[in-house]
Amino acid sequence: MQSLYAAWTLKHKPTSLAQVVGNKEAIQKFVDWVKSWEKGVPKKRAAFFYGPPGIGKTVTVEAFANDSRMELVEKNASDYRTEDAINRFAGLASQYGSLFGVKRIVLLDELDGLTGTADRGGVKAITDIAKNAQVPIVLIANNAYDPRFSNLRNYCLLIQFKKPPAGEVMKHLRRICESEEIQVEENALKFIAQRSEGDVRSAVNDFQALAQGKRKLIYEDVSWLAYRDRQESIFSVLRMIIYGRTCSSAKRAVDMADVDIDMLFEWIYENAPAHLTDPHDLVRAMDSLSMADVYRGRIRSTRDWSFTRYVIDFMTAGVAMARQNTKASGWIPFKFPQRIQMLSRSKAQRAMQLNIGYKIKRKCHISAVRASKEFLPYLRIIFKNNAEMAAGLAKWLDLDQKMIEHLASSEEKAKAIAELVR
Amino acid sequence: MLRRLDCLSFEMWAEKYRPKALDDMVDQKEIVERLKSFVKSRNVPHCIFAGPPGTGKTTAALCLARDLYGEVYREHIMELNASDERGINVVRETVKTFARVRSIGEIPFKIMILDESDNMTTDAQQALRRTMERYTETCRFILIANYSGKIIEPIQSRCAPFRFTFLPREEHDEYLKHIAEHEHIKLLEDGLDAIFEVCGGDLRKAINTLQAAASLNKPVDAKVVYSIAGRAHPADVQKMIEMAVKGNFLEARKQLRGMIQKYGVAGSDIIRQIHLEIFKVEIPEPLKIKLADVVGEIDYRLVEGADEEVQLSALLARLVEAGYELKKAS
Repeated sequence: MQSLYAAWTLKHKPTSLAQVVGNKEAIQKFVDWVKSWEKGVPKKRAAFFYGPPGIGKTVTVEAFANDSRMELVEKNASDYRTEDAINRFAGLASQYGSLFGVKRIVLLDELDGLTGTADRGGVKAITDIAKNAQVPIVLIANNAYDPRFSNLRNYCLLIQFKKPPAGEVMKHLRRICESEEIQVEENALKFIAQRSEGDVRSAVNDFQALAQGKRKLIYEDVSWLAYRDRQESIFSVLRMIIYGRTCSSAKRAVDMADVDIDMLFEWIYENAPAHLTDPHDLVRAMDSLSMADVYRGRIRSTRDWSFTRYVIDFMTAGVAMARQNTKASGWIPFKFPQRIQMLSRSKAQRAMQLNIGYKIKRKCHISAVRASKEFLPYLRIIFKNNAEMAAGLAKWLDLDQKMIEHLASSEEKAKAIAELVR
Repeated sequence: MLRRLDCLSFEMWAEKYRPKALDDMVDQKEIVERLKSFVKSRNVPHCIFAGPPGTGKTTAALCLARDLYGEVYREHIMELNASDERGINVVRETVKTFARVRSIGEIPFKIMILDESDNMTTDAQQALRRTMERYTETCRFILIANYSGKIIEPIQSRCAPFRFTFLPREEHDEYLKHIAEHEHIKLLEDGLDAIFEVCGGDLRKAINTLQAAASLNKPVDAKVVYSIAGRAHPADVQKMIEMAVKGNFLEARKQLRGMIQKYGVAGSDIIRQIHLEIFKVEIPEPLKIKLADVVGEIDYRLVEGADEEVQLSALLARLVEAGYELKKAS
């Protein structure tokens, strides 16, 4: 049973360099460097892998050791906290040659994990190891350019790992599909791969969460993830806008938003007033939003989309600059735009009103849109108060049962009117 | 007991009492005279009928057509509504197909009535302009709009302009009295005053109000009219303003949202009431005129087609501020 629940990141971890996703250049640089050890100790005795998480830095070393049957001595930040501890481990690993005639490679992972005072001396100890190593040392961190590593860098061959493209991530996922015997729609796979933004580990984790125990995975199974992401990202976007300190930072929020401009407008319009409790701030914010809306109108009437930039100015920077007196205090939840929700809830009702509008249009030389606004309120009064007149009008306008019910607002009345129509 | 329906015939009075011929039109005298001269000469130029709602623009177009073509006028005209036919392609194709086919009959052209044409996009108007030029021989256009300013200059310069105005009080009253008489309704003087006050000369609205009032089966006096108007447009603007002045913006906006979305109250109606209310509400006097400026600006934006809720809630924010100033002063 255990294999069923094993993490797929481990279960399907590449065992050979050929299976490692992307980063072909970096891998080649690394392989060449290790091979150079055969001709004697090279100038740089340590290789420093750096790059964002989950893109195969550690896996590369492991797969290489496996391919070339080398012994891998692996430690990560949680194992070495102090100078002493590192020396104990590193001295053992680097000074001795191979024990069993097998070549050895030493991996010090998660150097970012060395923090401040607790790991005082840690970096210095590692630097000493890199200087004097007798076997290949691989160091791994997300950010090699952390000032703490400035001296260490001098003794290392820097190898950058980059985010693999979605196509490469998909290849890896496909390999897992085959081994797990799961059928997956191509666009579902693509969605997961793109969403991970090159983080293969998180892609595999997501994939396992969605696909485990299934025979088949379709797009609908995965697309809801987008909503979850969006919810989270829209909140931070709103925070950037409402509490923005500069115009440019507020404007930048638009690029981070996962929704289109109109929807973002709705989010801001819904939430900004709840956060801006000072009346003057509120006025400035609402003025800005109303100006953004004016520019939306100008886009509509001219069909010139370049006006969008002013819409963005007013809805982001304008709102950010509105906040002059309100302090960021307490926690106010962000709400989904209520009027969008209301609109979708009343959709059926509005459709009915428009249908009646079309009936009126046929008789009264007026657009259905206008008819539903200008005639409907009066028809409602008539249908409520005067069954005879209502029946006559229903007949004249050729209204159906549903429309009569809608206008009469009570079932009894609708029945009475329908009776008369017949 | 209820009467059998066969003996009842009810129509919307706004339609039932629509004049059928130019001679029947009581108002817009100058316009009617000019239109009559078109009929006499059997020739009609492209026209723009501009003016507020309920002043007889569509009626004039239909009367002109009937006078020109006789009872079979429907075969020679087409009515198209820009509000309903949003797609520019629909407008383009339908208009073109209609315009290019020659009319059979004594008069060599047809008439295309484009209602609410100020709702057409600039693109659609450009397309229309070309169609108008190309098929002038076979088709004449009557563009109907509330605001002629929203019609592009090249079209305006090709059309004879007609500016419709609200009916004067006497003609408004005469019209409603005529209907009341025919429908055997008791319409009282103060009822008539109330209708004029509520509808402001918009005859369609006035007739609809009268018919709804008549459905209550009692004499139509001011009280009845106000109750009808209140129920037709349950815009509790006063309450909304109070809410805002007290500082509760979110609640006021929620009310506004309800009015617009649930009851379909037009933004222009709400703003008219707000304009009346701001002079009554208790806020610092000098602020009132400042607010009037904002109201006017927002009224204008709504005419231009801006988002009603967004614009009006910007106004609500101003009221919140005004209420705050009042509190500070006292």
